Amino acid sequence: MSSMYCNCKPEAPRSQLKAWAKVDELARANSLWVTAYGTGCGAIELRPLHTSRFDMERFGIAMRPTPRQADVLIVSGYLSVKTLKRVIRVYEQMQDPKYIVALGSCTINGGMYYDSYNTLNVLDRYLPVDVYIMGCMPRPEAIIDGFGLLMEKIKAGRADGWEHYRENLEWYRDNQKKVIPKWDLPDYNW
Amino acid sequence: MMDSQRLLEQVESTATVLQVIRRSDGYLHVSIGSQDLLSCLIRARTETGFLVLQLISVVDRIEDGKFQLTYILENPDDSSILILSALFPREGCTVPTLSEIWPAAETFERELHEMYGIDFPGNDRQDEEFILEGWKDKPPMRRDFDTLEYSIRMFGERWPRNHHDPRQFIGERVGEWETPMSGEEGS
Repeated sequence: MSSMYCNCKPEAPRSQLKAWAKVDELARANSLWVTAYGTGCGAIELRPLHTSRFDMERFGIAMRPTPRQADVLIVSGYLSVKTLKRVIRVYEQMQDPKYIVALGSCTINGGMYYDSYNTLNVLDRYLPVDVYIMGCMPRPEAIIDGFGLLMEKIKAGRADGWEHYRENLEWYRDNQKKVIPKWDLPDYNW
Repeated sequence: MMDSQRLLEQVESTATVLQVIRRSDGYLHVSIGSQDLLSCLIRARTETGFLVLQLISVVDRIEDGKFQLTYILENPDDSSILILSALFPREGCTVPTLSEIWPAAETFERELHEMYGIDFPGNDRQDEEFILEGWKDKPPMRRDFDTLEYSIRMFGERWPRNHHDPRQFIGERVGEWETPMSGEEGS
């Protein structure tokens, strides 16, 4: 089993020329590949985005079947404790750099499930969120707008949630272990 | 389709019917005494042809100190429905298992054991986790379980909220607020 994941602490990426980093960022911003993983009711709003009416591929946003190929994880709506464990696993399997887009009120402050025994209130305590899109649920136009915001952040070099996660991994792990009573993931599983 | 009078007579032959809740052709919903529940269900299965157990559901009647268990049975030959409800004491609730008669009941009972803490002696799999992983607190669907308190204790206070008057808020953002209707009135 241990051959299936890396069990050492993540390292900082090698430093590179500033000009080259700019080119990288431009390329990344214009080909956002999304993990096809719907966590809550918001996944319904992603269907029209794929298809011809809103067609997100014209912005270079495409769905990928595996986290290893993806840059963006969409946490679409409420996140139960059980799903959080799977989302952590998916997120940590994605290659750097990676970004999280959180949809809906539930990821911001719990939304209509703020008093539920099983759903998280603030997603930012467990995973680093780059862009929040508010609404219950946000319309496809709003999601496209959110992706526009993410592209601007990437081009400006400010979408650094993944670096923050790597640097503050202990803090995130503490929070994650506090809400997941049955923690059976390896400590570093990317 | 079996008419409800015949159904009622058959139920009455094995159980004390406390109340007829709803009846129509091929449909009967009665509440019976909890001591007669098992014999009544077995009889419905073996003699009357109610082969399908559709659902077991629970209502937490905390005011009366009771759990109301409802069993929905269907006869696949004529699609008639028989619904049996019975009240069990809430504290230390013990209900006879049906997993020997309907294998599907095992899963329903696992869920009820996890969500309400009802004990089904004889069901070997009731202690397996059904939905919740590593749950240590009181069963969450009982009405004396305070979900808000649990949510705050477990997931922390949520961020403070700002309230905006939509007219003013959008007006500040977009310049001026004008609906199509008000435009028509002005012209």
